[in-house]
Amino acid sequence: MNQILEVKNLSKSYGRGEYQTAVLKDINMTVCEGDFIAIMGPSGAGKTTLLNLLSTLDSPTRGEILLDGADITAMKNRELSILRRDKIGFIFQEYNLLDNMTLQDNIALPLSLNGVPSGQVIQRVREQAGIFGLTQHMEKYPYQLSGGQKQRAASARALITKPRILFADEPTGALDSRSSRDLLECLKMVNEKGQATILMVTHDAYTASYAKQVYLLKDGRVQCRLNRGKERKVFYEEIMSMLASLGGERE
Amino acid sequence: MNLFGLARSNFKRSVREYGMLVFTLAFSIFIFFNFQNMIYSDAMKVLENFNKDYIDMIIHAASVVFVIFLFFFVWYASNVFLNQRKKEIGIYIFMGLDNSRIGKMYALESCMIGFLALFSGLFLGVAFSKLFQMVLLRLSEISVDVKFSFSVKPVAITGMMFLAIYGIMTWKGYHTLKTSSVLDLLSGAKQKEMKPEKKLVTALRIGAGTGILLAGYGAAWNTGGARSLENALLAVVLVIVGVYLLYSGLIPAILRSLTRNKRYLYRRERNLWVNSLAFRIKKNYRTYAMVTVLMICSVTVMAVSIAMKQRYEKAMHFDQTYNYQIISSHSWNGEEIARGIEQENEVEYWNEIPLLMMDPELFHTVYTDYMYGVVPCSQVEKAAEAAGLPFPYADLADDEIVKLEHEILMSFVDTDHSGEIRMIGEETYKLRGTDTTPYLGKIQTYSDIYIVSDGAYERLRPLGVENRLYNYRIQDMENMEASRPYLETLAENSEDGTNYTGINFTESEGKDDSWIRVMYSLCLFMFVTLVLASGSIIFLKVGNDAYEDRQRYQVLGKLGISKSVLGKSVRNEICFTYYCPFFLMAVTSYFSVRALGNVMKENLFCVNLWSMGVILVLFAGVCGLSVRAAKRRLL
Repeated sequence: MNQILEVKNLSKSYGRGEYQTAVLKDINMTVCEGDFIAIMGPSGAGKTTLLNLLSTLDSPTRGEILLDGADITAMKNRELSILRRDKIGFIFQEYNLLDNMTLQDNIALPLSLNGVPSGQVIQRVREQAGIFGLTQHMEKYPYQLSGGQKQRAASARALITKPRILFADEPTGALDSRSSRDLLECLKMVNEKGQATILMVTHDAYTASYAKQVYLLKDGRVQCRLNRGKERKVFYEEIMSMLASLGGERE
Repeated sequence: MNLFGLARSNFKRSVREYGMLVFTLAFSIFIFFNFQNMIYSDAMKVLENFNKDYIDMIIHAASVVFVIFLFFFVWYASNVFLNQRKKEIGIYIFMGLDNSRIGKMYALESCMIGFLALFSGLFLGVAFSKLFQMVLLRLSEISVDVKFSFSVKPVAITGMMFLAIYGIMTWKGYHTLKTSSVLDLLSGAKQKEMKPEKKLVTALRIGAGTGILLAGYGAAWNTGGARSLENALLAVVLVIVGVYLLYSGLIPAILRSLTRNKRYLYRRERNLWVNSLAFRIKKNYRTYAMVTVLMICSVTVMAVSIAMKQRYEKAMHFDQTYNYQIISSHSWNGEEIARGIEQENEVEYWNEIPLLMMDPELFHTVYTDYMYGVVPCSQVEKAAEAAGLPFPYADLADDEIVKLEHEILMSFVDTDHSGEIRMIGEETYKLRGTDTTPYLGKIQTYSDIYIVSDGAYERLRPLGVENRLYNYRIQDMENMEASRPYLETLAENSEDGTNYTGINFTESEGKDDSWIRVMYSLCLFMFVTLVLASGSIIFLKVGNDAYEDRQRYQVLGKLGISKSVLGKSVRNEICFTYYCPFFLMAVTSYFSVRALGNVMKENLFCVNLWSMGVILVLFAGVCGLSVRAAKRRLL
């Protein structure tokens, strides 16, 4: 499988001198095409910091992040902006849809602002809306939609540019269980169809059980990695017992 | 920290953040103070020789307009300030402050800002009062020495006026905060929903707005006749209502239809800024309408001032075509009189016209106290040639007449009676037109005189008494008095009144009319003030919108939308907010200035063009500043 992202000895610390706090320590990982990875860990483990570094929103103290072979830590702001535009998709916990436009326009936003011809934009928006079950809501404004619908729209917007990798920061954090399931089913489907490589940060075992691999982060290090078998439910149990064992160790 | 301390620390912070608010308030105070100072300042006492009562009246009128403007301006500015603070203030609720105490804190803070604006405005006003007066007098072409003087009265009036208006607005803000719900405070003024509207209501707004505006334009077009004043007032009301309805009906509908046309919307950065405009227009339309009306007022005020000045200059030119006019019942040797004048003054030109004075009854008029007469065409042509005046009536037919009129400041009466049939004695004549060229000089101001063909003149001669009119214009008008003693020796009046010679001396320049020039200068100031006010209102609004947009642009940045794309979107949205009111103003002012031109009998199209040009330049500058400030805040 094609390698998309490679992380080598990644470290991040905040503060200076004696007051320096290391949040991430020597992280190494690889993301290949078609992967669906969940990063779990307790609060303060460094999950969001890792996601911010990988998605170019923050820069590391040490180490390399290679996206399609190019080291993003050495890139300038302008290049990073182009990289985010062309290769990366984002889903945020708070949806971050623009409240002054319809769902259709929200989904179309990345393409329309990047000079793709209108006809193609309209076509691609329709396809994405179909995948995420939003066809009926295209003319609605975000305030007219439920949290689940908003998050699915945010996912459709993130995937419309066909990014090389999709980063999701606690995508189900603000959703009820049913909306979470709907969203995760959609993400699983696009992943399985080979349309998306996903790296997701979550603290929720149920959400993580939709991934193919789960990395557990603790005190800035990857503590362990779990690979899913065939059954999601079995995988969920495995994650729960791993969390219990790690939690027990801590106590 | 007590309430006062909290307000003080907020104030320190907000002075930096709301510098524009303080600046605009201080600027309004500065202008208002200077207007008041014109009335009470010792330095202006010299104007007493220049019809100061009139000038004071104009300044009072300007001050009233300015107070009304100040009221709305302070209202708008404090609303913007309150909305920006709401969210931050809402957080204090979680610190245990109740609404009433939050309201008090806001009022304290607002008072500090108000006092800062008041003191800086007054300080600058006093400091620059001499300059202001000098500029005003210079523009008015009144040469007097202005000395710096300070009087308490204008300071007190300005202070009280501002404190009263600002006090009301602060109290209103306090009351709003006291009665607001926590949720309202936390969400601030941020618009959360696209406000839907029933199609029928939209259709009514579009229909009514367009119809009323067109009716307003129609009324403005129809000025110049007897119903000028009525039509002009109707046009003002219709245009204001029409502009409001246009911004609440047609323009939002156009924007909404643009957002529905995805093929258009998904090109360039339109998805961002057209959507943003369509979403906000319902909240912002009053501001756009206010700015548009304010700009129409400013251009019209400008046109009034220029038209007044042009009329005044024309009237002055009319009066000064001849410096001395001699009217006599018998012939004189014109050459000889010219030589007499030339003992003291050099004569630039002179002419001689026979004038047949006739009984008013022969003109079949009810105005019998007026002087009536006719002059022969060929003689007027000769006189016009000597005075360098155009004369287009050489081919005047035997049954045609031309009425000679004088220049007037403005007229609500239709003076164009071309084609009308008039009777002189028992004969009928067709009126070819009225003319304000001063062929007979000031005599035209006091009498009703017609140019007739030479044949007609001969026919009418038995019906009246022929007089001779001798007109002289000298080179140096300042030296006019020098020839008076000589000319006065010519005056005569026989006991039976059949033999007489009268001399008319033209005033060199009427000090009585200086008020027109002062009015011109004040109108210029009003124009600049209103345009700057329009600019700063949009500037404040754009600043407020940018404040709301910060989060949106952060998200877009995270999505990888480049700064240049976002910058273009910001620029386009801001440009619309400046140039849409400008465009509507440009169209509307064409009609309003034309209406004014009709009433004042002046062609003001050029004035209209260049005043729009000035606004465009000022707006382009303020728009540029707005774009820069918004980009700094958002990107």
